[in-house]
Amino acid sequence: MIPELGHIILNAYLVLCLVGGILPLAAIFFNNAALEMPIKRVTTLLFSLITFSFLILIYSFLVDDFSVAYVAQNSNINLPFYFKFAATWGAHEGSLILWILAMNAWLIGFIFLTKCKNTYFLNTVFSISCQVMFAFTLFTLLTSNPFERILPIPPLNGADLNPSLQDIAFTIHPPLLYFGYSGLLIPFAIAVAAMLFNTDTKEWASYSRPWTLLSCSFLTLGIALGSWWAYYELGWGGWWFWDPVENAAFVPWLLSVALFHSLITSQSKGVFGKWSILLSILAFSTSLLGTFLVRSGILTSVHAFALDPERGLFILGILGFFIVGSLIIYSIKDLNQDHAGTYELNSKEFGFLLNNLLLVILAISILFGTIFPLIYEAITDGKQISVGAPYFEIILFPFALALGFLQGIALYLSWGSSSSFSFIQRVFLESISVFVLILLILYILFDNLYLTSFITIFLACWIAAGTLQVSKKRNINYWSFLKKRLAVTFAHVGMAILVLGVGVVSSYSLEKELILAPGDSFEFGDQIVSFESVEDSLGPNYFSKSANISFKDNQDDTNVITEKRTYVPSGQLTTEAGIIMEPFQDLYISMGDNLEADIWSFKVQIKPFIRWIWLGALLIAIGSMLAGIKQIRRA
Amino acid sequence: MKKLLDTLPLVIFVTLIIVLFSFLSNEDNQLETVLIDESFPEFSLTSLTDTTKILAKSDISELPALINVWATWCIACKVEHPFLMKLKEESILPIYGLNYKDNRNKAIALLKADGDPFEFSIFDFEGRLAIDLGVYGAPETFFIDKSGVIRVRHVGVIDDKVWKEKFAKYLDE
Amino acid sequence: MNKILIISFICSISFGILSGAEQKFTFDKEAYSFDNIVQEELFYSLLVELRCPKCQSSNLSGSNSPISNDLKREVYELVIKEKSAEEIKAYLVERYGNFIIYNPPIEPATYILWFGPFLLIILSLGSIILYRRKQA
Repeated sequence: MIPELGHIILNAYLVLCLVGGILPLAAIFFNNAALEMPIKRVTTLLFSLITFSFLILIYSFLVDDFSVAYVAQNSNINLPFYFKFAATWGAHEGSLILWILAMNAWLIGFIFLTKCKNTYFLNTVFSISCQVMFAFTLFTLLTSNPFERILPIPPLNGADLNPSLQDIAFTIHPPLLYFGYSGLLIPFAIAVAAMLFNTDTKEWASYSRPWTLLSCSFLTLGIALGSWWAYYELGWGGWWFWDPVENAAFVPWLLSVALFHSLITSQSKGVFGKWSILLSILAFSTSLLGTFLVRSGILTSVHAFALDPERGLFILGILGFFIVGSLIIYSIKDLNQDHAGTYELNSKEFGFLLNNLLLVILAISILFGTIFPLIYEAITDGKQISVGAPYFEIILFPFALALGFLQGIALYLSWGSSSSFSFIQRVFLESISVFVLILLILYILFDNLYLTSFITIFLACWIAAGTLQVSKKRNINYWSFLKKRLAVTFAHVGMAILVLGVGVVSSYSLEKELILAPGDSFEFGDQIVSFESVEDSLGPNYFSKSANISFKDNQDDTNVITEKRTYVPSGQLTTEAGIIMEPFQDLYISMGDNLEADIWSFKVQIKPFIRWIWLGALLIAIGSMLAGIKQIRRA
Repeated sequence: MKKLLDTLPLVIFVTLIIVLFSFLSNEDNQLETVLIDESFPEFSLTSLTDTTKILAKSDISELPALINVWATWCIACKVEHPFLMKLKEESILPIYGLNYKDNRNKAIALLKADGDPFEFSIFDFEGRLAIDLGVYGAPETFFIDKSGVIRVRHVGVIDDKVWKEKFAKYLDE
Repeated sequence: MNKILIISFICSISFGILSGAEQKFTFDKEAYSFDNIVQEELFYSLLVELRCPKCQSSNLSGSNSPISNDLKREVYELVIKEKSAEEIKAYLVERYGNFIIYNPPIEPATYILWFGPFLLIILSLGSIILYRRKQA
């Protein structure tokens, strides 16, 4: 009965979205005030409906209602309750409800917090958002209904949540990521409204900027969490694989970064208006494209089954409707919203232009590389190739260098024209000092200096030096100087730390595959790794072979467990890695195969500075969050 | 000129949609073999049933033939087994087995219990011949023509439909 | 006295030989041991570059599936035979196609993949500079 309620509410939501998607626009088009809606109240109602529906789904999981097909497919009586809660978004159908809820949350935030007073503009943004929400809800109800029942005889137990999802990070990663993806709806809707009303560039950019920043912040957190989770959950010690699913999130992130940088220029100087509109459409389209490409199944490897071509078709239809629709408006409309203004090649404006150029072309390249195997197969009549990490890393490197260079000098550039380039020498000297210091530290810690890491580490120093501008300390009150640019300082220093982490871990990592019997020790790096014992243990819904490993070096002797788990309902195996966090490196070990008796293969790794990658990402997320909040408060 | 530039994003995007649409209809989930029109590789492995007998490529003498990669741990192999038996009973063409990374005794026992559709089975415990054939799992089936050249490979269960669509035409040559 | 010592000596040696003759699973603690660090680095770098043919999306380094383990063994044997990275990759491509390498080949069909980004940058920078010249 209760799942039915959830279903009915979802249907009511569908209808209300449809109405909301049409009436306000009709009111404007036909100049008929009678068609207008009280959008604040309607948005609140919509949000309540979708939240209620979502809560009912969660409830069905928590009470083990296996008559709901979705619960039966993704849960199990023995599943710990916090995973039952998270299983709500464990598969396609439920995660769609989360997507819709997230879009609605952004809409309600925008409607209540925006400084925009133009009712036509507000109603248009509201309407367009409702249309998107309607499309998603229609898709859910027609092809992916989470409230479908197994009646009259429901199963006694469920199939269980995918074991690799049974992890604490899974409870936070998808929600954060979906909020990031869906947040780009608001800049999209604003851009379309701005086109329709030919709104002044400075004006509409100010509406859009905070929401772009906040979406970017959530995307940053979501992606960083995904990377961290993959690192400790998948057992092979990598933190980014350039997998289609990862790229699907990275591309919108790059475009959202490009977008808010462009919006800064649009808001401050009233230029790049048309470009910002196009970028807003592109950012949202890659968000839709990405999330759905991985659901339609065409991007998984040759060995996965297509999720459902029919669903993929529907998604493509949604994508087509909104993006083609907005691009048609873009190509037809004569937009002249920009303020007059010129800028030199040495100006902040041009710096932002280069930033956008690099980010957008990088995003396009990654997107293209991700779908290229399919294109290649088509044009060579059946031959297959793979495009993976080696390719993307080669492509990324020059872009990262160029972007990093810009990032270091960005804060020194002035609007219109920069008086001189003397700051470059200053940044260079500051970078060199930090660079030498870091190399010294690395040498003391790891006894080695790898030439391959030099460029990346120097880049990190360059970005940090250019952001912190320590030499300014001499002239002014440095702390109030920093406070005024707190957000950008967090974000750019965060990037520097991230780049440093990447540079060090890429060159300084050690790995080895070992075969050990209980009692064996092996010298690895500065550690002595000992396989002390292996025993059987039992979890709430799995059996496990737990190996007790000790890592001993000059300072300490720590033990860690790595496991091979067999989950009871599905029979699926997972590897749980054993990780020891030292201040400057991670010690990582994962179990391989049981070769004979108690003899196991292991993969042991040392990953120096790897935590700095996620620390950097966290700082970036904080920075963009601070900037977004500041922009919302600004008049 | 400006108008042309403005329509460019639209054109590119529509192209992308059409391209993605065409990919949706592509159902085939196999890794295509690159050994088409290559000769079956040389090998030197024992027969499954007789550990003293060393088999080589020349022992695959009755051509054209099917080479079927199978194992006792492969569940799908049990599904296709009846079809292979049918091919043998109707003397359509000889089938040679490639027992892949398996336990010898279990494999012999399975053939005794369920029937042996193979002229003989090659015991490839280490999977080396399989690697030379670009095999990555079981079941897989290769068609070798009368000159010993690989013409087609199917990954997955082979049944009537697969036989008609993929293999039958090579038999008629 | 001497006889007793000799007999005990022979006994202990025989005992040692006999116990050594038991069937034992012998292994080096390193799963893959190499003559030098260059070979070792080549091996591990290839494991990252080569794709597991059976997995949904994984390189050999991150996969313990049977085919991955077999391919790791193949790579290992080729590395200690002093084969170069190119030779080893060619060996595997001969059997599994270009699918098995995560780095796509540079050929006419992939020119757009490899040179596209660079070309796009030149094109857009060029047009921006031309546009500004026209405006001035």
